[in-house]
Amino acid sequence: MISTLAYGLTVGGIFYIISIGLSLTFGTMRIVNFAHALVYTLGAYILAASLQNLGVGFFVSAIIAVIAVIPISYLIERFVIRRLYGESVDYAIIATYAVLLIGVDAIKWIWGAIPIPLSDPISATVALGGVQLPVYRLVIILISLLIFAGLEIFFGRTVMGKIIVAGLEDKEAVASLGISVDKYFAAAFTLGSCLAALGGVLYAPITAVNPYMGFQVLLICFAVVIVGGLGSIRGTFVAAFALGMVMSITGRFYGPAADTMVFVVMGIVLIFKPIEA
Amino acid sequence: MLNSTLTLLRKFDVLIIAGLFLLLTPIISMDRSIDFMIFCIFVLAYDLLYGYMGRLSFGHMLYLGVGAYAFTLSGAYLSGNPFLALLIAVASGAVVGLILGPIIVRTTGACFALINLAFNQVGLFLAMVAFAPWTGGEDGMSAVFNKVWIFDFSKHTVVFYFSLVCLILVVWLVRRLTGSLFGILLRGIKENETRVQFLGYNTFAVKMVAFIVSTSLSAFAGALFILNYSYVTTSFIDPLRSVEVIFASLIGGAGSVYGALVGGVCYKLISNYLPNYIQRWEMFLGAVMLLLVFKFRAGVWGYVVSALKRYEQPAEESKPHSEVSR
Repeated sequence: MISTLAYGLTVGGIFYIISIGLSLTFGTMRIVNFAHALVYTLGAYILAASLQNLGVGFFVSAIIAVIAVIPISYLIERFVIRRLYGESVDYAIIATYAVLLIGVDAIKWIWGAIPIPLSDPISATVALGGVQLPVYRLVIILISLLIFAGLEIFFGRTVMGKIIVAGLEDKEAVASLGISVDKYFAAAFTLGSCLAALGGVLYAPITAVNPYMGFQVLLICFAVVIVGGLGSIRGTFVAAFALGMVMSITGRFYGPAADTMVFVVMGIVLIFKPIEA
Repeated sequence: MLNSTLTLLRKFDVLIIAGLFLLLTPIISMDRSIDFMIFCIFVLAYDLLYGYMGRLSFGHMLYLGVGAYAFTLSGAYLSGNPFLALLIAVASGAVVGLILGPIIVRTTGACFALINLAFNQVGLFLAMVAFAPWTGGEDGMSAVFNKVWIFDFSKHTVVFYFSLVCLILVVWLVRRLTGSLFGILLRGIKENETRVQFLGYNTFAVKMVAFIVSTSLSAFAGALFILNYSYVTTSFIDPLRSVEVIFASLIGGAGSVYGALVGGVCYKLISNYLPNYIQRWEMFLGAVMLLLVFKFRAGVWGYVVSALKRYEQPAEESKPHSEVSR
């Protein structure tokens, strides 16, 4: 029971961290960003590479991975996403999917297609209510809660965050105040990408690092964004943990159905609350 | 002169398409040619939704897979008659469209794409895990059919001519559909759905019909694929392969029957031959997709059409000129 709960909260936390970027890009730019999965996968690969080659610890490698995706996400934003402002959603989907294809193939070129297993950076376990839980999972839950708190402060208290939130509501109104909204959206995009890389870093020790790890997670994160309401930052938080719990409870009874159940929930939500997009 | 030639060509386009495929066959081998034609049927079914109605589905492999599995399962558990199995495959495609349609069709844009993707993922799970005792799961299952009259589908020549006839029928059907009032309504929905509603049309019904036609035709294509390969695996329902048909639609030029055919053949040529020369062909595919989206949205057929128009225009302009001089 407790282990199910802990697993649900862990995956929920990771989904939350990855979904923020998707939710922000959809809310600000009306773009469904498949390239998000690429940044996530890259985060995990850079972590694995720096762990193996640089001989630094997990913590430093994680920071390297998160920082390393900033130029990549800038390139994606500058040359692909920015050209898609105001275009129809279809072209955005196809273009960002193309970026994902190119990126995944590049990853296969550099690192090969064989999955890289990573060991748990904190191998200790803690007894909680008679169940042994890995400390690493608890750390993930803690980090996701910290990020939630940090984002609440960022979007609620800082000028930059407030501009982004206002831009989510009404882009033209913000632009008419003389603020170059696109610059702030680019910053939001980079922030989302860094968080996606962090999600990849945190999830890597739980699963194996492989070129296609992004696809599956991306689908689930789309479900999170849709269930939580597009562009809603708090909604994403609630939906991520709810769907994480759905996954872990389903997985407890019938393992293979865990991922599918998420999409069933998404379908039900869409029946009762269709989204205009 | 050119105009009359073009109208003549349009009149016999079905024969020309058949002739081109017959010409293509000795160049690329019969097996490939069958594969190309069936894929073209799938692209046509997809283009009805994407090109004409403007709804991008990111999970159309689901409907292809439903047809493929319905065809195989009916052969294995019901009867060895391939035509009954084809009928069942098309019917199950229609039933899936009828059940999922009311949920899917109401959405637009990104939601339409993603909800299809989600259902496709559910379908993959059902075929791979939940129904694994019947479908063979990841190992797949083989499809064996009896010989009916002259139709012995274990012979490739028979499959070839049968697929050719099917392709011609589907081309004719899609052209009839898109040329009718229904087709105009579809294009109207693509441009502005509210205005079509304002004219008094029930757009939900139109969208449902288009969706069901598309799912049934996709299921038909899936069944034909199995008729050709006589083996079904989960790769026929894998959502990751949905991008193939999107790419084919784009490269040919969305929203035209000929564009869909050109796109289907182009994609299959690329995916069959390019990996022999370029090892990183997925990267190449991605780069071409980016180029298509940013620079060449009209696709191959779109450029052919605009080139033809440029030829036609001087001809039309010179006509009144000559009358004046007379």
